[in-house]
Amino acid sequence: MCLGIPMQIKSVEGFIARCEAKGVERDVSLFMLAEGEARPGDYVVVHVGYAIQMITEQEARSAWELYDQMLSGDTSLPKEANPGA
Amino acid sequence: MLNAHRWLEEIHRLPLRDTVRVMNVCGGHERSITLAGLRGALPTQVELIPGPGCPVCICPERDLYQAIQIALSEPVTLVAFGDMLRVPVNVPRRETRTLEQARSRGADVRPIASPSEAVTIARTERERDVVFFAAGFETTMAPVAAMIEQGLPPNLSVLMSGRLTWPAVAMLLDAGAAFDALVAPGHVATIMGPEQWDFVVERHHLPAAVAGFTPDSLVAAIYSVLRQKLEGKIFLDNCYPEVVRAGGNATARAMLARSFKIVDAEWRGVGVIPKSGFGLRRQYSHIDARLRFADHVDESRKRIGEMPQGCECASVVLGRIYPDQCRIFGTACTPRNPVGPCMVSDEGACRIWWSAGRRPTAA
Repeated sequence: MCLGIPMQIKSVEGFIARCEAKGVERDVSLFMLAEGEARPGDYVVVHVGYAIQMITEQEARSAWELYDQMLSGDTSLPKEANPGA
Repeated sequence: MLNAHRWLEEIHRLPLRDTVRVMNVCGGHERSITLAGLRGALPTQVELIPGPGCPVCICPERDLYQAIQIALSEPVTLVAFGDMLRVPVNVPRRETRTLEQARSRGADVRPIASPSEAVTIARTERERDVVFFAAGFETTMAPVAAMIEQGLPPNLSVLMSGRLTWPAVAMLLDAGAAFDALVAPGHVATIMGPEQWDFVVERHHLPAAVAGFTPDSLVAAIYSVLRQKLEGKIFLDNCYPEVVRAGGNATARAMLARSFKIVDAEWRGVGVIPKSGFGLRRQYSHIDARLRFADHVDESRKRIGEMPQGCECASVVLGRIYPDQCRIFGTACTPRNPVGPCMVSDEGACRIWWSAGRRPTAA
């Protein structure tokens, strides 16, 4: 239940940001971030519709890359990952 | 940062001799560990134990019963995070055992994905009382606090069932828990700050590391605690510095503190854990669903507060057994026909193990 998804802010109106990740857009509350902290173009980690923290673009992209791998079913680490095996 | 493969190589180079039991307390961690097949990739001396990391699994049976009864007997719309809808209470089969069954019997029960949806529903249907059954750990209760602070429509009330993660770990450690190191939950620490887990190191002298949800971060954290243990230099490591910062999210923590007091609270199948629950502060008693509606607690019910009959979820939650060591895992209890909450919730260890293809171990 504590899953957080990195999303990019497209626009901000009051405490509500239109955010996007992988082509999906959602309204996200910025109410738990310091006022003015998040601006369009920034990346945030979103949990149950609320931004819980800022994240850099690079970190957001690398998190998405890894989530993509996990979601695509390419989940298990290859055998060579286990030198002891 | 090294990737998971490089960290695994480093782990295999460590001169491990004795078994090291590493507990995680987050369903998201357990899902990543299981889906990535980390257990098979680690040296045999390293055991990864899923602990109390699923808020749905430990949500008090009494609270769930109360939510079902409110939905059935009051003219309300009851909203809850989707995972809660299929968790059964302990009543005879002819009675309503889940919120989903309540809905099929005419109650207006709706799954939501965000506290803001509860507000939207209440604003759209002003003539109807809306009850938000709010279960979750710190990460989820902070948005609930934010929702409350922004102001609720008068027809929206909250049935609180939020819990703090660390007191359950403290309880396990005080009881002489069977683990040697802790991987601490990344998004709980994002909100509350990593310092919440200092007690593991300072009071119990066990290695600990906060981890994120990618295999990279998790394997880094596992490497950290193993190395700490081998070298005897223990500290609280932060392997999720992208979002976990000293002090956590100060704005969110202040909201939590303004909306909620910390109370002794029941955990299903476990009992009361001191100072482990979020309760509404007095100034918010007007939004407390427990005060707005009749108390439906029926103390004469059998197995009140317990896990369902035959189910070993309590032992799974406490890390005493692995999911596939439960007598009914994958036989009487499957995601299609779940007996216990650990098989219902996406965060439950049984559900995660089943989803990853684990099947009952041969007797």
